[in-house]
Amino acid sequence: MDNNRLEMLVEELGASEQERKLWRKLLREAVSGAGGNELRQALREPLCDLLQELGEVNLGAKLKFVIERIPTFPTAELLPLILELCGELRHHSEQTVCELEHMLSELGAPIIRVWTDVLLVPLIGGFDSDRAQALVERLLERASTTRAKVVVVDVTGVSTIDTAVGGFLIEMFSAVKLLGAEVILTGIKPEIAHTLVKLGIDFRMVAIARDLEDALRQAIALLEEERKQRRQIAWAQGSNFSGEGEEHHDT
Amino acid sequence: MEGKVRELLDIPANDFDVVVRIAREEDIAVARQMAKQLAQELGFSLADVTKVATAVSELARNIYRYAQTGKIMIRKRLEENGGPTIEVVAVDHGPGIEDVDLVLTKGYTTYERSLGIGLSGIRRLMDSFEIASEVGTGTVVRVEKRRRRF
Repeated sequence: MDNNRLEMLVEELGASEQERKLWRKLLREAVSGAGGNELRQALREPLCDLLQELGEVNLGAKLKFVIERIPTFPTAELLPLILELCGELRHHSEQTVCELEHMLSELGAPIIRVWTDVLLVPLIGGFDSDRAQALVERLLERASTTRAKVVVVDVTGVSTIDTAVGGFLIEMFSAVKLLGAEVILTGIKPEIAHTLVKLGIDFRMVAIARDLEDALRQAIALLEEERKQRRQIAWAQGSNFSGEGEEHHDT
Repeated sequence: MEGKVRELLDIPANDFDVVVRIAREEDIAVARQMAKQLAQELGFSLADVTKVATAVSELARNIYRYAQTGKIMIRKRLEENGGPTIEVVAVDHGPGIEDVDLVLTKGYTTYERSLGIGLSGIRRLMDSFEIASEVGTGTVVRVEKRRRRF
């Protein structure tokens, strides 16, 4: 195969100067007449670059085109090499995913004390069962040790709430309430609101706030209410001392 | 019925834009993301994109929970009348469902931590809903959502 024809083929294949350079390199090696290990070694680098540049599907289509044009193209040598390279790339991307997952779980969901007796839990991203489990445990622990009276759960960062995530949230809310704290849910986006209604997920068990500001206002109102009740009790105890004394006699 | 399950189980995957194999919990998120992207490409409203993504999430989770492995196939369809449509087929060769009508009842579940509104919820989220199942063969759910005109 002469240089002229090869150059024409390269011209047809490559959309950019960079691609043309890679194709030229690959085709030169492929028709060089070398065989076996030597050829595989020579093809490896340009093929790897092309794979990263074009992606698997695109490269496949272009290679088909090349094979049709060059009858002596070493297809049999190329195939295992491509599979090997794809495998390597996949392994590499799997590793990246693994690292990212690790990072995500480290980021976790922070539990922030935003006010006296008020905890804020901003939820971000998706929830698989491990992450959900870890979060509930951490939240319950924190709510119990801080004796929080209100837990604000913000789902602004959650893109989809399906029945599994909905179920997890309901479970979490119930558990927090069992610890004696109130739950205020906020950050439900309009598109999610519609989906939740269609799915029939019911969050009526908790207070809903329009946004974080509203949530905080509700939380503070709840705390004020409680403080008022406590003052009333203290006052009643003070003025009604004899009543309590009578109770003493009874027992 | 039995013929229908077999027929649906053999839907060629080549006809679809995206095929996601469900084998791990992470795959559920992948399927959801793919559905979201295709619905966005078709110009669905944000609310409908969310509904499609949620339905796919539900379908993928059902596969993962009850059949362990299976696949979610998604395609865009451009029809003359009716407008752009997204079609999702969830296929598994799992244990199958004995009484499909019962499963579609709101609140019914065999999974202890579930709300039991998954399948009936999917039906409400989508425009069309079709399910075929046979004990010992597997389950196929096919759903569609049309793009709405405003």
